[in-house]
Amino acid sequence: MSDLLQRGQVLRTKHSGQTCTVEQFLGGGGQGEVFRAMWGTMPVALKWYFSHTATPEQHAALEKLVTDHKPPTNNFLWPLDLADSDHLPGYGYVMRLREPRFRSLLDLVSGRIDPTFQTLVTAGLQLADSFYRLHADGLCYRDISFGNVFFDPQNGEILVCDNDNVTENRSSHCGILGTPDFMAPEIVRGEALPSRQTDLYSLAVLLFYIFHISHPLLGRRILSIRCWDLPARMKLFGNEPLFIFDPQDQSNSAVAESVDPTGEAGANAVNYWPIFPQILRDTFTKAFTSGLRDPDNRVMEGEWRGVLSRLRDAIFFCEHCGKENFYDLEMLKSSDSVGPCPFCQKTPRLPYRLRLGKTVVMLTHQAKLFPHHLDDHQPFDFTRPVAEVVQHPTNPNIWGLKNLTSDKWVITTADGSTKDVEPTKSVPLVSGTKVSFGRVEGEIRH
Amino acid sequence: MANRFGGALAARPLQFIWIADCSGSMAGKKIESLNFGIREAIQPMREVATENPNAQVLVRAIKFSDGAQWHVSQPTEIHDFKWADLTADGVTDMGKALQLAADALKTNNMPERGLPPVLVLLSDGQPTDDFNAGLKAMMDQPWGAKAVRVAIAIGDDADLDVLQQFIGHPERKPIQVTNANDLVKMIKWASTVPLKAASNPNSQPMGQSIAAGVVPIPAPPLSTLPIDPSDVF
Repeated sequence: MSDLLQRGQVLRTKHSGQTCTVEQFLGGGGQGEVFRAMWGTMPVALKWYFSHTATPEQHAALEKLVTDHKPPTNNFLWPLDLADSDHLPGYGYVMRLREPRFRSLLDLVSGRIDPTFQTLVTAGLQLADSFYRLHADGLCYRDISFGNVFFDPQNGEILVCDNDNVTENRSSHCGILGTPDFMAPEIVRGEALPSRQTDLYSLAVLLFYIFHISHPLLGRRILSIRCWDLPARMKLFGNEPLFIFDPQDQSNSAVAESVDPTGEAGANAVNYWPIFPQILRDTFTKAFTSGLRDPDNRVMEGEWRGVLSRLRDAIFFCEHCGKENFYDLEMLKSSDSVGPCPFCQKTPRLPYRLRLGKTVVMLTHQAKLFPHHLDDHQPFDFTRPVAEVVQHPTNPNIWGLKNLTSDKWVITTADGSTKDVEPTKSVPLVSGTKVSFGRVEGEIRH
Repeated sequence: MANRFGGALAARPLQFIWIADCSGSMAGKKIESLNFGIREAIQPMREVATENPNAQVLVRAIKFSDGAQWHVSQPTEIHDFKWADLTADGVTDMGKALQLAADALKTNNMPERGLPPVLVLLSDGQPTDDFNAGLKAMMDQPWGAKAVRVAIAIGDDADLDVLQQFIGHPERKPIQVTNANDLVKMIKWASTVPLKAASNPNSQPMGQSIAAGVVPIPAPPLSTLPIDPSDVF
């Protein structure tokens, strides 16, 4: 148990008026400690600040979050109410408990969990979407890092924690500068304070970590640094930041494990970088070239959402080894080949595909369409499929796309004939068939 | 079957050394609290290591009284580390302890690349040997100068001046403890917070330039428990 609060201690919460009873110490951080507590009849997490971090500014910021702002999505563990006591100095706040199914991104980069690419892309997409909504609400997170984000390794659902540093963008209150490895170069150099634009940089670093298990700026140059301390970080993250895949300047390029067995100069990135589609490489290149130097030229959350949504649709399975590969339209156009599977080196066969506007959905045996596929204005909700690939009930050689909506679809086959596909019925996967889903039309190809 | 390529994040070694005063004045309650405190700190240190995949935490210990010697000579992974209790007897040859640390921090004895070492010095008295020579030997080593140095002053007789010189940072003071509970608590703090800061700096508060010092270390929390006046050191 901690020294800050004791089991059984009863606090009061400011807005609800309910009591909050401390039950169990859960963990400590730089600003305070977190306890399991009972808020009225609801089990919650209670964060209590150390005396030196329990500032009036922090209190005012929390008050604003509790009273003026709703959580942008359910993916945020948002402060629900402030807690204090007549018998104790300081204060705290209550929030939802983090369910045990959520694991830290630290578990991912440590190799303690082995999620699929689909899970990681879903997590990345939800991250981009969550920060899109936070920023759209006029807020700024200030401390995006892999210590603050959790995800479900089964489905990619994310949970953003430590929201007590969230403030209105351009707010003068500022308790936190960020976590050094994720700070935008202008913050590292002391030229700027956290803002929506610096959040965008941190988000790009986090996404790069998720997909490459490497830092985007740690390449060849780190090999000449004996002691990796703050002055060294200042140099590589602040004064001389250079992307490890910068197309114009290779002086900090990622180094393969065969050259540097420690792997600290981006060896993982050397493996992962080529297997993703060109669109992802182009987006990271933008984020860490022009976006490194110009805060107004960073990749916006909406752009990340579009790219990651297409990336998720591009996953198919190698028929030889069963591992996930990415369909790359650009590569197919330039070389007329899908290229070898990065895991078994054999050439996989592409599955049926559905072209839907800008995106191409791989119609694998697991494929599903979701509301955003059929309507741009719908949220990314991977719990409500609107279509799924199924096998014909009597002929397993025939596959189809089943209508899970309550509306009928209309298909036009290659010979020009049309037919309705009622809810629960399926369109056979035949090249050249066009499907009108209502707002959008798709075409099945092979 | 692995879903993706297997590589975890690369880790750099981080050398952590406890430098413990085992002079006669430490005998009895103090040395037992110190032993207890270090045993209590090991699990939180393991947790810090687990949460910082870019650091490989390697632990050693030096003891000093009449002379100085390695208590744990081999850099040991924190996950494999076990503490054998120290006993106290003799004088306070702190300079020799720093000399021993200096030898360990020589470039030839250190890995080619690493994280800043963390040195935690615990003492209740005044050096009886040439402290300055030991300090100079340590600071002459590049890894010694880069080390994060933390000191715990046990009781009222600890020499705060020499501990301050060891820390070598005007804004960081020796942590003074006057009871067993605070000693245990501060050993835990000194063994985990600087370790965390040296392996992967956490969220930085405003007003802290990342250019300041080798690593930024948050202030140790003040005791919130009432001090037991009968718990005299």
